[in-house]
Amino acid sequence: MSFASITSFLHHTSNRCVAVMTTVFAILVAFLAAFAAPALADETCNSPYMAKLIKGQEDYIYVWTLGVEGMGDGFDKLVTIGVNPKSAKYGKVINSVSVGSRKEAHHMGFTDDRRYIWAGGLAGSDIFVFDIGTDPAKPALVKTISSMAEKTGFIGPHTYYALPGRMLVQALSNNKDKGGVTGMALYNNKGDFITSYSMPAENGGDGYGYDLAVNPRKNVLLSSSFTGYVNYMRPLGDVVKDPEAMKLFGNTMVMWDLKAMKPKKIFSVPGAPLEIRWSLNDGDSWAVTATALTSKIWLVKQDKKGEWQAKDVATIGDPAKIPLPVDISIRRDGKGLWVNTFMDGKTRYFDLTNPEAPKQTYEKVTGKQVNMVSQSWDGKRVYVTSSLLENWDKGGADNEQFLRGFTWNGKELKSTFEVDFTAEKLGRAHHMKLGSNAMRTGTAYLAPEQPQKLARK
Amino acid sequence: MSMRTMKGTFALVLLYVASLCLALLAATVGAHPAHESLPQLDFQPPAPGSYKLHRIMAAPDGQVLNVDGKAQPLSQFTGDKITLLGFIYTTCADPEGCPRAYRVFDDLKKQMLAIPALNGKVRFVTLSFDPERDTPQVMAHYGSGRLKNAKGLDWYFLTTRSAAEVLPLIDGFGQDVRYSFSKANGKLNPELSHVLKVFLIDREHNIREIYTSTFLHPQTVMADVKTLLMELNEKVD
Repeated sequence: MSFASITSFLHHTSNRCVAVMTTVFAILVAFLAAFAAPALADETCNSPYMAKLIKGQEDYIYVWTLGVEGMGDGFDKLVTIGVNPKSAKYGKVINSVSVGSRKEAHHMGFTDDRRYIWAGGLAGSDIFVFDIGTDPAKPALVKTISSMAEKTGFIGPHTYYALPGRMLVQALSNNKDKGGVTGMALYNNKGDFITSYSMPAENGGDGYGYDLAVNPRKNVLLSSSFTGYVNYMRPLGDVVKDPEAMKLFGNTMVMWDLKAMKPKKIFSVPGAPLEIRWSLNDGDSWAVTATALTSKIWLVKQDKKGEWQAKDVATIGDPAKIPLPVDISIRRDGKGLWVNTFMDGKTRYFDLTNPEAPKQTYEKVTGKQVNMVSQSWDGKRVYVTSSLLENWDKGGADNEQFLRGFTWNGKELKSTFEVDFTAEKLGRAHHMKLGSNAMRTGTAYLAPEQPQKLARK
Repeated sequence: MSMRTMKGTFALVLLYVASLCLALLAATVGAHPAHESLPQLDFQPPAPGSYKLHRIMAAPDGQVLNVDGKAQPLSQFTGDKITLLGFIYTTCADPEGCPRAYRVFDDLKKQMLAIPALNGKVRFVTLSFDPERDTPQVMAHYGSGRLKNAKGLDWYFLTTRSAAEVLPLIDGFGQDVRYSFSKANGKLNPELSHVLKVFLIDREHNIREIYTSTFLHPQTVMADVKTLLMELNEKVD
């Protein structure tokens, strides 16, 4: 509506009404301008369909933690850590929700409305749903979805990727031979099974899966590949000494037509490509991944003809020493990438200004073993956890289990806090997600006739 | 009637009139015209019928108000025809929100009316999640010239009597809405926000697709509508 038409509309009302409306309209315009800015994406590494973002200071880190026999209750659990420096609970364990079983807790993901976290274990097929909206400080286990193996034949749910009203779950294995041939299961947000998709095992595909990431503007879903239960539940030392076992790792990535959920192209990406991150920068249409066994960064991008291509663009550390890059975290502007290498315990920063030629510009040993790395929306805070897999973690004194917080000023990581998961009798710290009191859903919808109720809060 | 009472009554009337003016103005502001061009898709959607739209979940039901103020079950607007349903609030100004949906619906309407095979097989539903402001009268104004049946494509503008009625619908559809009040200068200011979702519902009340701003485009919706019709071996061209 143009300003002229608004003025015309105002002329046809009474003078008194005009006066009231002019004032109200000015307030309305200011009000609308204040909150109308569209969301761009989630804090760096989540589904683009996420409804709510934490663009300021996060209050909590949720850590999906593997249980350790004889440590506390020994079960997998969701641990909540206070990470707001203004809180008395800063760097402290605030809450812990045990799921009553130990099934190799690994990854988790938010639903598109960010009211719930879905999390699972690689040793089974159960998916645990935690309510984080009612009280972000105290997640509650509200549902266990146990239908995946029966409905799909897949086990080891790994990636939980929010689609509108749905959750797409990438599994790692299957319940027949427990190898790496697997697929994806689609559920609605209520936890009802919808359908499943097998990873392509023909035309160059190996049938393996690991991570998922969507680029909605290009209508594509990119998937990566790891290995099956027979390998990831076996001690790492045994696996690397077994040539046959080493053949059972994924060497592909798949570009899917997201709408049709059909494979479009299969890329050869040797050495177990793991986490996938699309650049969130406006106008960018490329993704990166890191290969665990060959220690490379790969770029997936369209060529001048619009054809998707994958190419090796950088080396991480010395591949001969198998530093084992595990997790990566991309900056919101796509200009930088954190890479954690498990074996040497390093958190490395790559300049991604030219994604065709990433350059490592910083590294720091952040633990004797490090796995996941996450960053805040503004990139000023970086969090690191320690555990890879129960049977792949180091032993003895090298088996540190922690969440460590750092600040990043563009030049140096400075330690800010540490939670020792062994001393706290929690277990092995694995995947992280950020939480905030602003994500509380208790105020998600309050009837207009009840403003006083909210005001009292 | 005492002078004090008269003043009070006048104040109430003034407040009512002001509220009505605001609501009508807001509805006019919210009803962005359809002349702004939609962004082009950055991909070619798959051909209709070449893919499957799975049943995501059943569409929830509840009481709604049509523009005439008559209460009816929402299920009367989600069965028998293919339905495209979007939640809105008339004061929404986020260009990626309600106005975007409005433009897509307008564009789709033109396209669908040009295809005789689609005549009478599709309806649009615009449902407010702001019952306090979006009365049937405001919704009628918001819908303005789009309310009439245009050669077989009905477009309904619905609201509810209260938050208590709309809440189960919002939760049932999984439409994320934040409705809260912030306190500034001693006053409570309303704050509404949501992430655009539009729901494609089949004739049996099943939700078959959920569009966010990225996928809500006439091309994708048209392909999906045709895909649903092709399931039943119906003509689409």
